[in-house]
Amino acid sequence: MFFDFHVHESYELVDEAERLGYSGVVIFKDGNNKNNDYSDDLVGLMEDSSFQIRRGVEVHSKNVVDLKRRIQKSRKEADVLMVYGGDLKINRAACENSRVDIISHPYRGRRDCGINHISARKAAENKVAVELNVRHLLKIRPQNRYKILGYYREILKLQRKFNFPLIITSGAYSIFDLHTPHDIIALTHCFGMNEEEATVALSETPMDIMERRDVWSNVLVEGARIIE
Amino acid sequence: MKLKILPPHMRNKKRYLAFEVISEMSINREEVISIIGGALWDMYGSCGISRFDLWVIKIWNYDTPGKYVMKGILRCKREEVHSVRSIIPTITRFKGGRVVFHTLGISGSIHSATKKFIEQN
Repeated sequence: MFFDFHVHESYELVDEAERLGYSGVVIFKDGNNKNNDYSDDLVGLMEDSSFQIRRGVEVHSKNVVDLKRRIQKSRKEADVLMVYGGDLKINRAACENSRVDIISHPYRGRRDCGINHISARKAAENKVAVELNVRHLLKIRPQNRYKILGYYREILKLQRKFNFPLIITSGAYSIFDLHTPHDIIALTHCFGMNEEEATVALSETPMDIMERRDVWSNVLVEGARIIE
Repeated sequence: MKLKILPPHMRNKKRYLAFEVISEMSINREEVISIIGGALWDMYGSCGISRFDLWVIKIWNYDTPGKYVMKGILRCKREEVHSVRSIIPTITRFKGGRVVFHTLGISGSIHSATKKFIEQN
C-alpha cells in the first residue's frame, strides 16, 4: 500500500493517483487561507470511494509564536498537519512539537539540509516526519539538481543515525507531477536510499501518521485520552 | 561483411521497459528518444549513458481527448535497469509543454512486454 501525502486539490489528480497504484492521498490546503472548503465532487469522492482521501493543512508562519498559534488553530480540522519549513527556528520548533505530523522541505532557501542532530533527535522523539518532496528535485534546473540530491543525502544520513520518520511525497499540482510509486522508489536510489527505506517512506510512515491521527482525536490534553 | 553473432553466454543480458507518455502536445519517436537521451545526460552524463546500452524499440500512439498518450518499449542492460528507471520521473517538460513518463513494467522479452503492459492496459 503506497500513499502520496502531499497533493493539491483536484478531482483529476485523485483519479490519476488511484490509476497509478496509490492507496490514498492527502489533499493539502494552505492553513493561512480562510476559504478551506473542498469542491463538491471531491467531497463526494471522499465519502464514497474506498480510496483513502484525507484532509491536510499546510501551516505557513513567520516566527515560532505564530507557528504555535497556527498549529493550535489548524490541528482539529486537519487529518495531517504539515509545517512549511526552511527557516531554522521554524524547523526546530516544528520538530519539537508532537502535534505536527510532517515538516515540509526543511532545506528550502538554505545552503544546508535544514536539519541538524538536535532537530533530528527531537523529530524522532516527537515522531515528526521529514518530507522529501520529489517536486523540488524534478522542477529545479538540471544543472542545480545536485544541490537537492546533496540535501537529501544529508537528511538520509541523519535519519539512519536518529531514526526519525521520513516521508516521500510528490507535491503534485497536476497529473503531470504524479509518478508511479515504483518510479519514485527507483529515483530514490539516486541519493543513496535503498528499496526497503523507500518503501517504508512511501507506505509505513503514512500509515503511522494516520493511526496517530486517530489516537489524537481521543486525546483531551497531552498524556490523557478517552478510552472507549 | 556482417559480424558473426556472439554466443548467448557472451551477449549482454537485456531488459525491456514498457513506458507510457502523457503530454500536452504531440510527440514523435525521434522526440521521445531525444527526451530520454537528454534526461539521461542530465543525470548520468556521457560516461554513465554508455553503460546502459539503451534503445527505443517501438512506440504506439493512442487517441485520447484533451491529451496525447503514447506507449513504448525501451531496451537497456539488465544490470542497469534501476538506473534507467530512475530517470523516468525526472522528465517533466519538453519544448515548453508539460510531459510525464510512467513505467508500466519491466520484462525479459519484447513479446511479453507488449503482451503484458502495452496490450492489456
